[in-house]
Amino acid sequence: MAAGSSSTSSSSNSDTSQQVDRIALLYPKVDESETTLPRSWSPKDKFTFIGLSQNNLRVHYKGVGKTHKDAASVRATHAIPAACGIYYFEVRIVSKGRDGYMGIGLSAQGVNMNRLPGWEKNSYGYHGDDGHSFCSSGTGKPYGPTFTTGDVIGCGVNLIDNACFYTKNGVNLGIAFTDLPSNLYPTVGLQTPGEIVDANFGQQPFVYDIEEVMKEVHARTRHTIQTFPFTDKEGLWQTTLQKIVSTYLVHHGYCATAEAFAKSTGQSITEELASIKNRQRIQKLVLAGRIGEAIETTQTLYPGLLERNPNLLFLLKCRQFVEMVSGCDSDVRPAAHSPRSSPNVSPSHSYSATSVGSVGSSSSSATNGFVTNGTCIDNGFEADSMPMEVEEFEESSNHGVLNGTAKMDESDHSPSREARQTCCHNRTVLEKILTFGRELQNMSVQLRREHGKNETNKKALQATFSLLAYTDPWSSPVGYILDPVQREPICSSLNSAILDSHHLPRKPPLDLVLGQAQECLKLMSKIGLGACAFASVEEYM
Amino acid sequence: MNQAEKGEGGNREEWMNKLTDMRFQRADMNRLIMDYLVTEGFKEAAEKFKMESGTQPCAPLENLDERIKIRAAVQRGDIEEAIALTNKLNPEILDCKPHLYFHLQQQRLIELIRDKDIESAVDFAQNQLAEQGNESPEFLEELERTMALLAFDNPEDSPFGELLCPSQRQKVASELNAAILEAEHREASPKLSNLLKLLLWAQTELDTKKAKFPKMVDVASGTFDGSR
Repeated sequence: MAAGSSSTSSSSNSDTSQQVDRIALLYPKVDESETTLPRSWSPKDKFTFIGLSQNNLRVHYKGVGKTHKDAASVRATHAIPAACGIYYFEVRIVSKGRDGYMGIGLSAQGVNMNRLPGWEKNSYGYHGDDGHSFCSSGTGKPYGPTFTTGDVIGCGVNLIDNACFYTKNGVNLGIAFTDLPSNLYPTVGLQTPGEIVDANFGQQPFVYDIEEVMKEVHARTRHTIQTFPFTDKEGLWQTTLQKIVSTYLVHHGYCATAEAFAKSTGQSITEELASIKNRQRIQKLVLAGRIGEAIETTQTLYPGLLERNPNLLFLLKCRQFVEMVSGCDSDVRPAAHSPRSSPNVSPSHSYSATSVGSVGSSSSSATNGFVTNGTCIDNGFEADSMPMEVEEFEESSNHGVLNGTAKMDESDHSPSREARQTCCHNRTVLEKILTFGRELQNMSVQLRREHGKNETNKKALQATFSLLAYTDPWSSPVGYILDPVQREPICSSLNSAILDSHHLPRKPPLDLVLGQAQECLKLMSKIGLGACAFASVEEYM
Repeated sequence: MNQAEKGEGGNREEWMNKLTDMRFQRADMNRLIMDYLVTEGFKEAAEKFKMESGTQPCAPLENLDERIKIRAAVQRGDIEEAIALTNKLNPEILDCKPHLYFHLQQQRLIELIRDKDIESAVDFAQNQLAEQGNESPEFLEELERTMALLAFDNPEDSPFGELLCPSQRQKVASELNAAILEAEHREASPKLSNLLKLLLWAQTELDTKKAKFPKMVDVASGTFDGSR
């Protein structure tokens, strides 16, 4: 038996180091910072008659093996996390030794190791000599075939039904145990000299197709969720969905859609249309990167709001700085200062597909690498339109798009490389940016003095300033901040602040529903509900 | 506010803060909304949403036309038209769904009662619905509930008044819409509906383990238990 440890050791373990972590891939929902997956047998949690080798994956018996009192077991290093949903490990019988009294199964922490799995309370085992299953008892029940040298025995735990099944050489033998307690450890026990077994916790491909079982349970869970009864009144369910859609549309200021939807469903919109449109206007400016104008418009429409939220104003200004570097903010686009004289200036409307072509191709008329092009369509979004001109604004909503669709942004929003670099190389622009940066710095100092330290503000300022250190900020390590998607958080914060000031919810119910679902699934994992392994918010999005 | 209340989900305030800090990408949310509008056949809203948000519909909006006409017919109470259009689209849909067919017929009766066309209502009930009503106790009960509306001067205020609500038409319209989608081998329920069910399922699972956590009691408004 000791020979085993030296002669055949190289084949199975030498290559594990350069492999991907197959075990973690099997159980994607397990958060190993909370619950570690079993990867080997524990050298600490075993009876003295057990010897371990080959990275603690091979187990051999080194006792005298005279009676059942000489039985010895070993547990894996960690309990099976419930978030596995379905857990599985395999044991290959390298040698049945003298009598082949081997037990494969599960046991709770603290269960006597001077026994085979299954004999004690909170321990469960399938034994090779008689093929019986032992459920916390010295007497077994007929379960499956016997097993011996060369056989591969698998032990599967369904953490949703709390049941256990075994496989022999890739064939499922059916349920062996039900009503299992939580936090069980993979366990093997041996009893006579010469017995050697190798464990596979998933670092090698399994003989049995466990992923097929996982898929099946996944499909079943999905079905349970999709047919989950809400209420016996289907009409109420429809109303619920409609309310969630409608509040989302209103919240984000998609007012034409909200109106059309309300008309078809007969539901009413609670907020005044004019108010929605004002919010829509401000959000559009933010999402287009025109932060300076967004701040002005907010100050006109909601006087005092930003003064009451100095941190929000600061973060807006940080974003404005970023947009100045990227050339989207109107302060660095000279055209925006005289909108009346050149009404066809493209308002850098990032999301309108028609402006895509103009960004890169208009270098002849661009002053500092940014667009002043006459070919772009007028989407009704000039800076001089008065904030309260709701009618005009409504027209614009037919062209203007209010979104964060990342895919579209990329093409229309990263000017060509030559165009990009001119931005910070143009001296007047650079000076303007630096002046603004100093203002920002002063504002940060003042905020700290008045309201104490603020990590968010500090980080925002640092990231913003570091953009200037690179000749091509887009490909710099902080380049991600320039991504238009990064406008979304500040856009939501501003929108929420406005809604808050009108005593409207800061978040639409849809956000809360998704957040709540996510948190509930996390909690399920934490308290040992295995079904969480087969459901996620992303899957249903 | 009971700050001391600590469950497995941690402090209530921490939990709520996590929810407020959580951010989902707008584009993902918008796709969810678009999927809902298209699946449920809200064509005009879907078109407007495409313009306002730049979200591309998951299926060409033109294909919606037939489904929309049918939904619109139900929503304005023109059930005969809805049945005719459905049969033109695919005669098997109503044939293999007796429940759906009964609900449509029941809606026809409701519309007659709404129009105070008592004579036609009684005639229709006797000649067309009574036979179907005998097919199952459930149908019979529904039929009785509907006919009971006739007993009131102001049926809207009667205990069965909900039958006359717009939500009743919505319900039948959705059922028919789902049947058509199913016949086209398309996902019958919008993703949004499944997401809501995911939440309700997860909360129920947690309840079975008696876990303590802030529970969302009204998904439509995002209201939590004990929140005031």
